[in-house]
Amino acid sequence: MRQFISFVIKEMRHILRDKRTMLILFGMPIVLMLLFGFAITNDVKNVRTVVVTSQMDHLTQQAVDRLAASEYFTIVKAVSTPKEAEWMIRSQKADLAIVFALKHQGAQFIVDGSDPNMAQQWTTYAQQVVANPSVSLISQKLLYNPRMKSAYNFVPAIMGMLLLLICAMMTSVSIVREKERGTMEVLLVSPIKPLMIIVAKVVPYLLLALVILTMILLMSSTVLQVPLQGSLGWILVLSLIYILLALSLGLLISNIAQTQFVALLVSAMVLLLPTVMLSGMLFPVESMPTILQWISDVIPPRYYIQAMRKLMIMGVGVQEVWREVVILIGMTALLLVVSLKKFKTRL
Amino acid sequence: MIKYLLQKEFLQIRRNTFMPKIIFIFPIMVMCVMPWVMNQEVKNIRVDVVDIDRTTQSQQLVHQIEASNYFIFNGQKATYHEAIKDIETSKADIILEIRDGQYLIAANAVNGTKGSIGSAYLSQIVTSRQLILYSQFSILSLYNKGQNYKVFMIPALMGILMMMLCGFLPALNIVGEKEKGTIEQINVTPVSKWSFILAKLIPYWIIGLLVLSLCLVLSWLVYGITCEGSLWLVYLLAILLALFFSSFGLIVSNYSDTMQQAMLVMWFFVVCMLLLSGLFTPTRSMPELAYMTTYVNPMHYFIDAIRTVFVRGGTFPAIAHQVLALSVISSVMAIWAVKSYKKNS
Amino acid sequence: MNAIDVSHISKSYGRVKALQDVSFSVGKGEVFGLIGPDGAGKTSMFRILCTLLLADKGTATVDGFDVVKQMNEIRRRVGYMPGRFSLYQDLTVEENLKFFATLFGTTVDEGYDSIKAIYSQIERFKDRKAGALSGGMKQKLALSCALVHQPSVLLLDEPTTGVDPVSRKEFWEMLSMLKERDITIVASTPYLDEVRRCERVAFLSEGRVMGIDTPEIILDRFKEIFNPPGLENGSRFKVQGSSDNVIEVEHLVKAFGDFHAVDDISFTVKKGEIFGFLGANGAGKTTAMHMLTGLNQPTSGTGRVAGYDIRTEHEQIKKHIGYMSQRFSLYEDLTVAENIRLFGGIYGMGSEEIKTKTDDLLRQLKFEDHKNDLVGSLPLGWKQKLAFSVSIFHEPAIVFLDEPTGGVDPATRHQFWELIYEAASRGITVFVTTHYMDEAEYCDRISIMVDGKISAMGTAEELKRNLNQPDMDHVFTYLARQATRSSD
Repeated sequence: MRQFISFVIKEMRHILRDKRTMLILFGMPIVLMLLFGFAITNDVKNVRTVVVTSQMDHLTQQAVDRLAASEYFTIVKAVSTPKEAEWMIRSQKADLAIVFALKHQGAQFIVDGSDPNMAQQWTTYAQQVVANPSVSLISQKLLYNPRMKSAYNFVPAIMGMLLLLICAMMTSVSIVREKERGTMEVLLVSPIKPLMIIVAKVVPYLLLALVILTMILLMSSTVLQVPLQGSLGWILVLSLIYILLALSLGLLISNIAQTQFVALLVSAMVLLLPTVMLSGMLFPVESMPTILQWISDVIPPRYYIQAMRKLMIMGVGVQEVWREVVILIGMTALLLVVSLKKFKTRL
Repeated sequence: MIKYLLQKEFLQIRRNTFMPKIIFIFPIMVMCVMPWVMNQEVKNIRVDVVDIDRTTQSQQLVHQIEASNYFIFNGQKATYHEAIKDIETSKADIILEIRDGQYLIAANAVNGTKGSIGSAYLSQIVTSRQLILYSQFSILSLYNKGQNYKVFMIPALMGILMMMLCGFLPALNIVGEKEKGTIEQINVTPVSKWSFILAKLIPYWIIGLLVLSLCLVLSWLVYGITCEGSLWLVYLLAILLALFFSSFGLIVSNYSDTMQQAMLVMWFFVVCMLLLSGLFTPTRSMPELAYMTTYVNPMHYFIDAIRTVFVRGGTFPAIAHQVLALSVISSVMAIWAVKSYKKNS
Repeated sequence: MNAIDVSHISKSYGRVKALQDVSFSVGKGEVFGLIGPDGAGKTSMFRILCTLLLADKGTATVDGFDVVKQMNEIRRRVGYMPGRFSLYQDLTVEENLKFFATLFGTTVDEGYDSIKAIYSQIERFKDRKAGALSGGMKQKLALSCALVHQPSVLLLDEPTTGVDPVSRKEFWEMLSMLKERDITIVASTPYLDEVRRCERVAFLSEGRVMGIDTPEIILDRFKEIFNPPGLENGSRFKVQGSSDNVIEVEHLVKAFGDFHAVDDISFTVKKGEIFGFLGANGAGKTTAMHMLTGLNQPTSGTGRVAGYDIRTEHEQIKKHIGYMSQRFSLYEDLTVAENIRLFGGIYGMGSEEIKTKTDDLLRQLKFEDHKNDLVGSLPLGWKQKLAFSVSIFHEPAIVFLDEPTGGVDPATRHQFWELIYEAASRGITVFVTTHYMDEAEYCDRISIMVDGKISAMGTAEELKRNLNQPDMDHVFTYLARQATRSSD
């Protein structure tokens, strides 16, 4: 036991001594949370709009006023021909032009369509503002996220990504570094059991991950004001399972990689990128082609993020996420067994 | 002298068992998979309809929803409550309740984009049935006539690839020499700082341009997407971006002691630059403070400029501003990279 | 019962046969030496014994346990110090020692007696990070870490590489103390004096056991390998009548905080001279050399190398010197020819010149067949010879060699010094540090550094006469024992 504790202390020292890494490890969640919470939004806002009208009559004026008043649009100029408006879009001075027809027989919307998604939204919004249905038949309700904050969507995603990065990358590098420097030889020959080496390697990163998890949860409820809807206990339990899974992945990488360089590239490029892209972290899984959906079926963070979104944001009970929980536990068990089996007790 | 140093770098890259694979397989993988993934087109939104009125009009509306590209009709539910259950279990994304001629649209907005676009589309369908005015609206979309989201994303992907390969590999390179001890041998030779750093940078520029060409070919072969503007401008932008990221990688490398450090520091900056570049989300919807950072973010200039060239077919004057900004930032970084490399302490 | 029984062990890596049908046994409490040139299979043997490696054929037992089936039993009883024992660079000296002590199930206090002689020399630096220690001090710390526990079998793979002669003596004294406690010791070493301290040695060559006997008999039987005829110092053509100083150093100081690594040294070296720069580990040799080669700025004092000021004209100096460091310094992932080409090119030689000179060089080293081999795949001794040849490839005025022969077997060292003599005869000044006292005798002039100061300088003869000592070994021990700073 004493051996084990001193091993853990040694690992902790490695982590704590590397000031820059520490700074990044703790700075990253904070900066990411702030970015996603405040800076990154898909909102339609400040769309540079040109108004095209030959003669400004009363109704047109009203429509333009409504446009100007909405936070979606900023009127940059009023011109008299569609040609001029188009030229403004082409020279990147405007995003949208609204050509008002005479006698209010509708309007034409000229839009910079390079981003079809945004273009769609701009025109939909503009149509609504211009049409101004006097009696609204429709009421809209945005469930769970009434103020349309992207943070609601991204907090679980950041958790999924950072926990994976810290656990998988840091663990694998710390083991491979011992191999590369030759200290692993001594550790293996020492009386300490190989299993203990692994556990001792993993414990500090587990703690680190828990600290960062707490940090993210605290930040999300205080600074970003994303309410924690579900039960904190289950959130922690699920996160623990996920952390274990990430640690086993790190272990597996360390078995394959012989040099830190390879371990780093594998965790950063081969592991992290698909995770970010295919797990539904940033891009919804449903809009991917079927093959990619299959691939995403085997990507563990997908289930974690899915479950977290439900638990944290939607506040459903754990019975609604049992499927994700079972899958995560299964994957963890599988990875753990494989990586322990593959851990070399000889050179 | 630099010729020999360059030769060494190339030989080392070639000998490395991992590097050539990364340089070729990675872009191919990214180009073949990512455009499908980064598809933010909102499609297949599952709608639950709670039709209390049961009129012909509401029946027609349901048919219209079924016919739409965007929606999948998930089924009729007897009560709003029942529909909410569907949302909680992720079986549906949106509820449309029709009661006394009033419409209630309730969308799962955990994913903000999906929620808001979905409800916008749905309300458009509903209102267009109510208001004749809508039929008089017409939309003219400039550029990207096919409304293809991939056209918008592919140039950005090229930027990401250049960033990954030209940024991370050099960052690991010098730290690697430090950890092996070979840098000491170089430091006692009369090699000038400039030629040492240049010899480290040039290979990655070449790799960057190779990767770019590969991307251009792939996007044509796989997606049939070609550059609207001049290819020369694309390459010009790519060189400037490569210059920036390789210098940046070397700076990080010069200040780091271990590979892990270099990697994490790079990762941190790269993620921030990416997120604030307007690659995924429009920069103009950012708050003032965040928007300020885009003035010094080379990725922002690059993404802006390459989309202008690639998607909108812009000519040099259209991107002159970005080219200038990129060149200034990159040169500053290159000089810093040389200055931060110390041969004598 | 024998402590170690090895019978018919074979091991190969791909086509390379590291060990072929090796058998020997070591009695309980015996000090047994495994000796042989680089690549003889010593390290593989050690790894098999400590269960890190599986043999292809044959069996071995350690302390009565089978190395394959009873791995855990052996790991509990064996102490192993690999050739490149590596410490945790970001932990302090004390933390390293404590960690390894606990790992082996003991404490520093319990094991202190067995490491005192060596650890006391570095104890002063116990709060320093291991990464900031000099090469030799790291090795001493590694030794302390390996010896802090008392296993029943101790396996030491070249434990004293890079360690100065005095500490080596102390180390072997410690080993004989352990032997008294009935600990079995198997060690490999390139030093002949250490070979003589073993009770029996096995001589391995190309993976085969060539003989097992007492050191005297083995050294005698293979004397052409272990005792190459000494180099005739007088036979060397000396650059006559040169009185130009190529290195002039006055009151040079390098301080790290309040620690003076190099403390006010002054000396001159003449053109064509072979200048031996001796000193115990941590005496400041490498730091001094870093200042002379322009890697470090001196804190105070002046110096000129090849006519250029070391403070302001370090880039000029770099054009006129060659350098070969302790840490092997060629690119392992380039071939022999590519390395030569790179360094030739760096010093501004033309392609044609490089090509012809490369062929000459390879012929001289008898390396023609290995021209296109990766440097990483060559044995250590070859690498060192190659690194030296590369460092003088551009005909520098001075070549700085920082422990160039550490860990190299006697025959290869002999060849190495022939290369040095050959270079000196062409007028290249050689500035060399070494821990081999026979090599010190090969130098024209020697300085011995103690605690950052030069405490003696002159020819080997002068030093012996002035200090009234029979040989260089005694001279060195006499001076180094006066050191205060590493043992207070």
